[in-house]
Amino acid sequence: MFGRITNMLIKEFIQLWRDKWGRFRLIAPPVIQLLLFGYAATFEVYHVPTAVLDLDRTQESRELVARFTSSNRLNIVRRAQTQDEIDAVIDRSDAAVALVIHAGFANLLRKGETAPLQVLVDGTNSNTALIALGYINTIAARFSQDYAADLAQRTLGIRGMTELIQVTIEQRPWYNPDFNGRWFFVPGVIATITLVMVVNLTAFAVVREREVGTLEQIMVSPIRPAEFILGKTVPFFVVGMGIAGLVTIVGILWFQIPFVGNPLVFVFGTMIYLLSLLALGLLISTVCATQQQAFATNFFVVNPLFTLSGFSFPISSMPDVLQWLTYINPLRYFLVVIRGTFLKGIGVGILWPDLLAMAAIAAVLLAISILRFRKSLE
Amino acid sequence: MKIRRLKAIAVKEILQIWRDPRSLMIALLMPFTQMFLLGYGVTLDLKHIPVCTFDREASQNSQALLKHFEASSYFAIVRNVRTYPALTAAIDRADCKIAIVIPPDFSERLNDSGSSSVQAILDATDDNTANIAFGYALAVVSGYAAEVALDALSRQGHQFQQIQPMTVQSRVWFNEDLESRNFIIPGVVAVIMALIGAQLTSLTISREWERGTMELLISTPVKPSEVMIGKLGPYLVLGWIDAAFCLMLAALWFEVPFRGTILTLFVTTTLFLIVVLGIGYLLSVLIRSQIGASQIALLLTMLPTTLLSGYVFPIDQMPMAIQDITYLVYSRYYVTIIKAIFLKGADIPALAAPILFLLVYATAVMVLAARAFRKSLD
Amino acid sequence: MTSPAPPDQAGNSDQVIADDLIKRFGAFVAVDHVSFRIARGEVMGFLGPNGAGKSTIIRILCGLLRASGGRASVAGIDVSRDPEGVRQRIGYMSQKFSLYRDLTVEENLRFFGGIYGVPRAELGARMRFAIDMAGLGGRERALVATLAGGWQQRLALGCAVLHRPPILFLDEPTSGVEPASRRRFWDLIHSLASDGVTVLVSTHYMDEAEYCHRAALINHGRLIAIGSPAQLKQTALGGELLLVECDAPGATLAALQDAPGVRDCSVFGDALHVLVGDAGKSLAELPEFLAAKGLRPRRMARIAPSLEDVFVQLIAADAASRREAA
Repeated sequence: MFGRITNMLIKEFIQLWRDKWGRFRLIAPPVIQLLLFGYAATFEVYHVPTAVLDLDRTQESRELVARFTSSNRLNIVRRAQTQDEIDAVIDRSDAAVALVIHAGFANLLRKGETAPLQVLVDGTNSNTALIALGYINTIAARFSQDYAADLAQRTLGIRGMTELIQVTIEQRPWYNPDFNGRWFFVPGVIATITLVMVVNLTAFAVVREREVGTLEQIMVSPIRPAEFILGKTVPFFVVGMGIAGLVTIVGILWFQIPFVGNPLVFVFGTMIYLLSLLALGLLISTVCATQQQAFATNFFVVNPLFTLSGFSFPISSMPDVLQWLTYINPLRYFLVVIRGTFLKGIGVGILWPDLLAMAAIAAVLLAISILRFRKSLE
Repeated sequence: MKIRRLKAIAVKEILQIWRDPRSLMIALLMPFTQMFLLGYGVTLDLKHIPVCTFDREASQNSQALLKHFEASSYFAIVRNVRTYPALTAAIDRADCKIAIVIPPDFSERLNDSGSSSVQAILDATDDNTANIAFGYALAVVSGYAAEVALDALSRQGHQFQQIQPMTVQSRVWFNEDLESRNFIIPGVVAVIMALIGAQLTSLTISREWERGTMELLISTPVKPSEVMIGKLGPYLVLGWIDAAFCLMLAALWFEVPFRGTILTLFVTTTLFLIVVLGIGYLLSVLIRSQIGASQIALLLTMLPTTLLSGYVFPIDQMPMAIQDITYLVYSRYYVTIIKAIFLKGADIPALAAPILFLLVYATAVMVLAARAFRKSLD
Repeated sequence: MTSPAPPDQAGNSDQVIADDLIKRFGAFVAVDHVSFRIARGEVMGFLGPNGAGKSTIIRILCGLLRASGGRASVAGIDVSRDPEGVRQRIGYMSQKFSLYRDLTVEENLRFFGGIYGVPRAELGARMRFAIDMAGLGGRERALVATLAGGWQQRLALGCAVLHRPPILFLDEPTSGVEPASRRRFWDLIHSLASDGVTVLVSTHYMDEAEYCHRAALINHGRLIAIGSPAQLKQTALGGELLLVECDAPGATLAALQDAPGVRDCSVFGDALHVLVGDAGKSLAELPEFLAAKGLRPRRMARIAPSLEDVFVQLIAADAASRREAA
């Protein structure tokens, strides 16, 4: 049995390696993608073009505006004089965000009432603006807090009180003290590139033989279904490790992502991840009769896997139904593993549920594949 | 160009599409599955951020503070730990993204010096969530602080209505509520259309090479342009159907306000479809193996469309070099167009710039594809 | 199956001309200075082992490959200068089955009818003709994938002649087809040829050369013999042929290699074919020679050489001369 598998393996490797373009397509695209997306994927916003309209023109309103001006998150491109001006600026997309302080702002503040700050967002440049909103919130909250403290101080001072109640919150960032967005995304990009490429390669593997007609020949030979599947997938396991290794090294060296964990844990986790990807590709391969179908199924399956994984959108923000779906997504678990080993340095003790989940997914999908494959031969 | 030959090619392609029901079904189902999954899964709103609390004092004060967190819709308390190692584990395991630590002398210091502080331990591996979570935490704590101060002052006989001086009130341009979904969904439509387009045409020529039918076809008088238009025609129709599904879902199910005209939508969508289908076709012409074409198609569509089109990651925040590259990402223009049509009611003149880009793209791709189709075996 | 009727010589001009054709793939020479002419209405067979270059030559003539050197002219048109002009005038069957398996018989025919611009008024009749010729009456709606090999090939031929091309290039149309179907196929080729169609057929079944007006033997990219079956048998063999039936063919073969007057010896089925200079002389001498070695053949007789004999001999000779040259 091992002889037959070895034969298959050798044949597969020769096929893979001999094709010059095939080699190129395995090496260049992952690296290019890593570089592109490593730079592109970011939720950090700086210098968001902002317009400001201060209709109050009081000390308080000016102070608030100053807070925004001094933040490097925003770039004040226009101090408008009228509402119409603001409308025009947003309409023309000259600014992604507009901050409007209406007349009476300071009055409300002094009376101890709620004073609104209006934020207008350009709908078509919304992502930048929505992200910026988070920072605007923070700046506003700090202003709010400081003003409250100040007001209380002055009030107490007037009334001769000495006590001042203040509760503050300090932040302690763990694992990524500089809030470097790359550290978050690059491992994610590594995981995603591996997903897309390995599933595609494997999905085509068996179908190709079926479509070209060589499958029948192989099936007539004494090889058993399980052996055939092993023979088909092991080369892609090796290729997958190669791709993952390649982009990991480039990621670490080029983007200088720190790696504080145990390399063995990472390698082990990657292997299990690859197994689950192989199993998935294999399942696709066994349910499709032509490569076109495998290709279409790829898009159908891989796109949601990639989107609903925690790569960029937090799973906790998704509706419950979708959150449950992520439990069968190997990428979800691997993201925890890769981010954990790179940035947190955690080990198998913490990661075992994720490793187990991926292994379980791999086992189940593999079993289904082999069953389906056997059935299709009858 | 002979219409008769063109028609023959188109009829053949239609018959072949019809005889591959699985691929057809996937192509027609994709709008629905992807719209639902991505429409609900993709979100820039951070809600229910998992929080872990470590109340080392366990007093009425500390509990009151934690109640504020509980009440906030931004946070979801997932764990209350009692030890520091448990907190570390929770962060390491990614059970929570932020941990609120209340020191054991919280109330004491509040009573003594009137000021106290709590800690927010942030899992900064996800820097964006960490930043925003901290901003929200800041606001929550401010609210609590104001309450405490108010309480203290009123106990001392002073009357204040309210010491929450200011709130940020966001009103999003063109929309009354800040539903990020309204901005994401148009982008999702663009992404889905790009993926469907690639899936439809990327293998169409390669398939014929692998099956052997292309050799016979090129021995006939048929012209490359006839093959191209004959083949793309049916896929354009499929693309229209898919686009109609996506757009109807966006407007009717997701209730994204639609302010534009159907005509503008139709014209721009057709143009985009031509680009997308044309690129798939071009790939298919250049790469005569299906697996090769599939790999390059994936390289050029799946990740670039989702990461570089501006539908999630803001283009203006990317490094300049990458921003320049996004000019090549065709889905970028359609994202802009769709958002503008839906949210701003933009018409064709207003969209002149992106339309022009798409027009240039479409022409270039079609010309290239016709030229690249060589009627020879080598 | 006898040789076909000779082609109509009246108003003849050579429909296919290959002049010193060369094709290289990198360092490998697939077609090595090949020249030949095919007259109108002639059925020319290309024979030779797999990989000899038959398909390559045909593809060059169809304009599917560019020759590295030499000239090719089809229907009076220079192939390299105007490949498109050639395409309307030819019908082609490629070695690998090229019809659309996921389309029906009718749909395939209609497709090629449209591609070749068969006038609409005629299309129905032409399709009928093709269906009848292929024997697919009643199965017009069948998916091509469900047809057996022989039917598929006949249908492919039908698709190739819808537009009445004056020249047909058929690349191994009888490969993998069972003998009865093969014969039927050749009948079809002959009926087309008798209507004036020039046909170039390649095959690796040596006996099919008998069905051609002329046959060309290709080996390692070179044309090593060309002529009518009769000519080839007469001149190419270089000797006379004996049939030897025996119980120990291996030993007998080995013994005969050194026998006097024996030029060559090879196994044919379960007997031996022995090439000798003088049949009569050898028939008298060989039994003794073999008996001395303890071998007693059951039967020895002179036989008329078949083309297969001729070709086997020619190829062996060619191989020998290549070895010497190397």
